[in-house]
Amino acid sequence: MDWDQFDLNPRTVAALKKADIKSIKEILNFSEADLQRLMKLSSADIQCLLKTVSRTLRKNSMLTALQLYQDKDHLTSQHQKLSLGCSVLDNLLKGGIPLVGITELAGESSAGKTQISLQLCLCVQYPYKYGGLESGAVYICTEDAFPSKRLQQLIDQQQKLRADVPAEIIQKIKFGNSIFVEHAADLDTFHKCITKRLSLLLARGMVRLVVIDSIAALFRCEFGVSESVMKARYLQTFGAQLHSLSTRFRTPIMCINQVWHQNCCLFYNKWLEVGNRVAPALGMTWANQLLMRLMASRIPWPGQASGVAPHCTGSVRTLRVVFAPHLPPSFCYYTIQSEGVKGIK
Amino acid sequence: MQREVGSLPLAPGLRARLAAAGFQTAQELLETGPCGLSKEIGISKEEALEALQLVRQECHGDAARTAGGLGTTRKFTALELLEEEQAQGFIITFCSALDNMLGGGVQLTKITEICGAPGVGKTQLCMQLAVDVQIPECFGGVAGEAVFIDTEGSFMVDRVVDIAAACVHHCQLIAEAQQEEDHLKALETFSLESILSHIYYFRCRDYIELLAQVYLLPEFLSEHSKVRLVVIDGIAFPFRHDFEDLSLRTRLLNGLAQQLIIIANDHKAAVVLTNQMTTRIGQSQSTLVPALGESWGHAATVRLIFHWDNSQRLATLYKSPSQKEATIPYHITPHGFRDVQPPAVTPNAEGTEMNPRKRPRREEEKQ
Repeated sequence: MDWDQFDLNPRTVAALKKADIKSIKEILNFSEADLQRLMKLSSADIQCLLKTVSRTLRKNSMLTALQLYQDKDHLTSQHQKLSLGCSVLDNLLKGGIPLVGITELAGESSAGKTQISLQLCLCVQYPYKYGGLESGAVYICTEDAFPSKRLQQLIDQQQKLRADVPAEIIQKIKFGNSIFVEHAADLDTFHKCITKRLSLLLARGMVRLVVIDSIAALFRCEFGVSESVMKARYLQTFGAQLHSLSTRFRTPIMCINQVWHQNCCLFYNKWLEVGNRVAPALGMTWANQLLMRLMASRIPWPGQASGVAPHCTGSVRTLRVVFAPHLPPSFCYYTIQSEGVKGIK
Repeated sequence: MQREVGSLPLAPGLRARLAAAGFQTAQELLETGPCGLSKEIGISKEEALEALQLVRQECHGDAARTAGGLGTTRKFTALELLEEEQAQGFIITFCSALDNMLGGGVQLTKITEICGAPGVGKTQLCMQLAVDVQIPECFGGVAGEAVFIDTEGSFMVDRVVDIAAACVHHCQLIAEAQQEEDHLKALETFSLESILSHIYYFRCRDYIELLAQVYLLPEFLSEHSKVRLVVIDGIAFPFRHDFEDLSLRTRLLNGLAQQLIIIANDHKAAVVLTNQMTTRIGQSQSTLVPALGESWGHAATVRLIFHWDNSQRLATLYKSPSQKEATIPYHITPHGFRDVQPPAVTPNAEGTEMNPRKRPRREEEKQ
């Protein structure tokens, strides 16, 4: 770090060089008293140093809420979201998936989580005007093989699903080419995948969606009860890395999670939301990393909710918003058709 | 700051050179900085630095003499402190049960910490407070501005718009019911745009950016003297990974807490922090406790824990120097943070979120 270019007292610059301090991070990691001892400078000088380096790090970082609200530029605006390809589902989410942050989709098996994720991988490739991000997707499989047959079926029927998009635009998009499939069945491979492969694809602008199917599978066999501290640390590290990638590249991260049944939970806790017979896996540590949690579930056939059109093929499912900073807890029904996932009004 | 160069206690030769170079006020000197100054008047950098330090001390001394507070120690009697505390403002939350539990609302000059599981409403309360701090005094507010430091990226401006619109509507209803001059006048400047333009938003992506931002806060608050609320949402997120050395984390958090206490006091602002919950595994069962460890528990003056009881959200006052421990239910509606039961409806009010304890100051004045 070239300290000379900062607006600092030459005495301070000399002390910095003598104390072998190489970065702003090192300075801020010390307390004021420690810096005084280390650099043998007065309190006023240290104050000035701290303010100067902080200013360099944080110049132009203030926005008013009004500026955020009025920002319509699709590269920076909060209003920009990733559409799910269906207007009913988009209305539930007030536009779609937010671009910065980790969104979780939890649910029992065959609730439709993979179907929704595949649909998102196609939606992201559409132009901004149609709710996409004009870029590809990374699909990280941690347990099953990637469902390529189903993906092909969805690609073939995109026109049927996206009737709002003109045919010539759909024909121009080479859907299969922009979906990058990665396999990572254990923690180390997953870690390598995030830190190397993912950063590369994101830095090159080739993808603007990351799907992890599923995050729970990575933690199933490897951790017993006594290793919960280790597991928590992994979860926090992965969460932080994904969050950081999402913020840097304005890319939504969709994590699929499984559920635990209540009677399998070893710990009962009155502080948690009770009232469901299933809870998303991985506990509080993982939940703290999330921006938004969605729950997909199947409605048992005999007790089907009223108001659902009887001529729908395929069983009916619910997509529920469990928590989100901008959405009330709400839900909607959807079905899985051959062309994709469609919400039911 | 506007002191004439000629009146500063510098060496006469130096003063002459400064005058010849065209410097007139102390402000200009300080703005030029040591490098520029040494170039302009042809003195060494050390001399320029010494001179500037002298100038700064003089101006600081001036400020202290006029303000009579900053930087000097004063003596108070307990009675004076009591009177000062009672005159202290509160930021109301629109949930009267919560305000009553806190003794009036979120108190200025104190640090309030909100802990809770994800999705329970911590960020919602922070957004509500960022709007409520701006309520004009005639409606019972403190007419301040807000700083919102976001470390998780959960500040969704559309939600703030809904909350702000509901707050303006609420005040409009009061103004219609009471039909008083100052209400209508205040409403002219209390609009959605003005509320949004007085929430200063900072996004910090890791703990270094957060530390740097807090070092810059005193200067920012001096420039924006109407700020009465500083929110850090959430304090735990940047500190809960990446720390092999937990003692470093404890030290940094303690330093942060000290700085925030000073900021809250010096600038008469409320500091609100949100914290995560973590599982503490005990002998026979596990419990949820606030994150960041035992020593962090001493940082905040007031600690609230938000939690669920089946599907009802509850707020527990866990730590407070003056209020009794209690638990109250609350709701999060499309309009923001509210009470559970619709309170007694006044004749000309509509909607179910009219707060019965509308303007406490007004009642006190009438008495």
